[in-house]
Amino acid sequence: MRLPLFLPIVCVLLLIRTTCLADTVIEGHVTLPKSHAAPVMNKRYEIVTKNGVVATDPPRAVVYLEGKFSKPANLPVQQMAQKNLAFVTPLLAVQAGTKVEFPNLDDTFHNIFSYSPAKRFDLGRYRSDERPIPSQVFDVAGLVTLHCDIHEHMRGLILVLDTPHFTTSDTEGHYRLTGLPAGHYTLKAWVDSKTTKEQPVDLKSGGTLHLDFP
Amino acid sequence: MKIARTFLYLLLAATVEARAQSIIEQLDNALTFSAFDGSCRVRLSGLVDLEAYHLEQPAPALIDTDRHALFNPRLSLFLDAQFGSHVYAFAQSRVDRGFDPSDSGGRMRLDEYAVRVTPWDDGRFNVQAGKFSTVVGNWAPRHDSWENPFINAPLPYENPTGVWDSMVPEETYDLLQWSHVNATDKPQDVYADKYLRNPIIWGPSYATGMSVFGALGKFDYAAEIKNSALSSRPEAWNITDVGFSHPTYSGRLGWRPDEMWKFGISASVGPYLMPSAASTVPPGHGFGDYREILLGQDIRFAWHHFQLWAEFFEVRFDIPGIAHADTFSYYIEGRYQITPQFFAALRWNQQLFGSIRNDDNELQRWGRDAARIDIALGYRFTEYTQLKLQYSLLREDPAQNRYNNLFAVQFTLRF
Repeated sequence: MRLPLFLPIVCVLLLIRTTCLADTVIEGHVTLPKSHAAPVMNKRYEIVTKNGVVATDPPRAVVYLEGKFSKPANLPVQQMAQKNLAFVTPLLAVQAGTKVEFPNLDDTFHNIFSYSPAKRFDLGRYRSDERPIPSQVFDVAGLVTLHCDIHEHMRGLILVLDTPHFTTSDTEGHYRLTGLPAGHYTLKAWVDSKTTKEQPVDLKSGGTLHLDFP
Repeated sequence: MKIARTFLYLLLAATVEARAQSIIEQLDNALTFSAFDGSCRVRLSGLVDLEAYHLEQPAPALIDTDRHALFNPRLSLFLDAQFGSHVYAFAQSRVDRGFDPSDSGGRMRLDEYAVRVTPWDDGRFNVQAGKFSTVVGNWAPRHDSWENPFINAPLPYENPTGVWDSMVPEETYDLLQWSHVNATDKPQDVYADKYLRNPIIWGPSYATGMSVFGALGKFDYAAEIKNSALSSRPEAWNITDVGFSHPTYSGRLGWRPDEMWKFGISASVGPYLMPSAASTVPPGHGFGDYREILLGQDIRFAWHHFQLWAEFFEVRFDIPGIAHADTFSYYIEGRYQITPQFFAALRWNQQLFGSIRNDDNELQRWGRDAARIDIALGYRFTEYTQLKLQYSLLREDPAQNRYNNLFAVQFTLRF
């Protein structure tokens, strides 16, 4: 007799919690550093098609909520492709435990590697038709700098986070984090390898908080 | 002790990854300049190489020292500039103890400079003028210390033959003397005149001239006209030192069935004598009449963590009174990435000499056949620092079983 009575209460509580998560939002602006000059491709000893014009993305920030959150059993697979001799996109934020694939969309070899303490790997040389797509699982939180052993100018970043609540700002620095749990946390804004800004936040169910990182 | 201490300090610095990387990343950003809304971009980069050799005398290849140990530091500065999407320029300047490892004093050179125009976006046609490495073969594009898994060059690029570019032999006996093929030659005599002798290709051959090259589907092509032959010494590469009156013509055709395989055939023909040899050539001839003719074949294979390269060269020198002196040289080289940071490489090199008729009308080899095995181990501490260790065993003139051991270590900082 107890079980049927208990179930509707649990369902109502879950609904309330889900509604609260969906409604709790932080938005704001992060002051971004100036864009670096676009890289110059070293073409001294090779024939480069596409004329060696490297597209560059302006800086972005990764804003994330730091706290103790449970890790989901299955995280979606992410991709960081190489196209026109550049990483697309050059900054990827993932939760620790995420598998990232590195598809080669160029008609030449790429050789992606990282010597960052958070993840050391070397995928070797691979073509666009390589199957399965070369991938790595990023288990340890931290910044992973990606390079290509063949194309010296290529740089990519993967920011591995111990939280499911993160977002990447637009190129103006605007961000919006949704579906957050109520509670007391630290909100961080990763700007570059040397700069991470932070502020304590008190999140209440159903509210929208505006927070800037000057 | 000083060398060992320097290496130790550098190793320690290299292992402090975060700080060292941060400094180099800052430097990298600081050395990239942009103007006119990004349409003009310039980047300065470089390599600092600290090399040490432990060797047996006579010093092998083009190493110039009479000691058993040699410290050879080198700073290479590169400039890459992109102007719009169709014009690219580059330059390389070096501060070292000589183009080839030596114990002489420090000096500074401008090894490369060139301007390239690429009219079409797909790379089908490029034209380049300046002083730059040869289009022949597949070693030149990977000859710098970061790309080369070894510390030295393959044998065809550094093994001195008996051919001199400063004068011609009066008779066959002279050529055989210069080649040191006689059993009576003492080891110290063999290398006393080493710098007068020429290899079949002198390093990457940064001669001055012009080239056209491009890629058309699975094929690529390159042709160049340069002021001096592939065997010519670094002093002959400058347009100011040797004019353009006797050019060398070289070319390469490449075929890429897929990204894994690359095949190429090369050819080069041009006078190898320096203008200073003019007074020694037979009457009625000029120094430009005696040519080096080279045919080359190259292969490259790459898949995942394994890479393989091979080059084969058949070379003929026109020599007054002797007609032709032929030699064949090749190497096969493999590199395997054992872990993300640790790699190993193995190279087998050989040079074989043809026969000429000596003054007694007997056939005799005009050079000392040589075989060399190179073994190297490398470790990349960071994206910017690398350490390589190499052992080479050279066996010259199999009949006399002459061996030479060489140990080398090289620390490279890239920025």
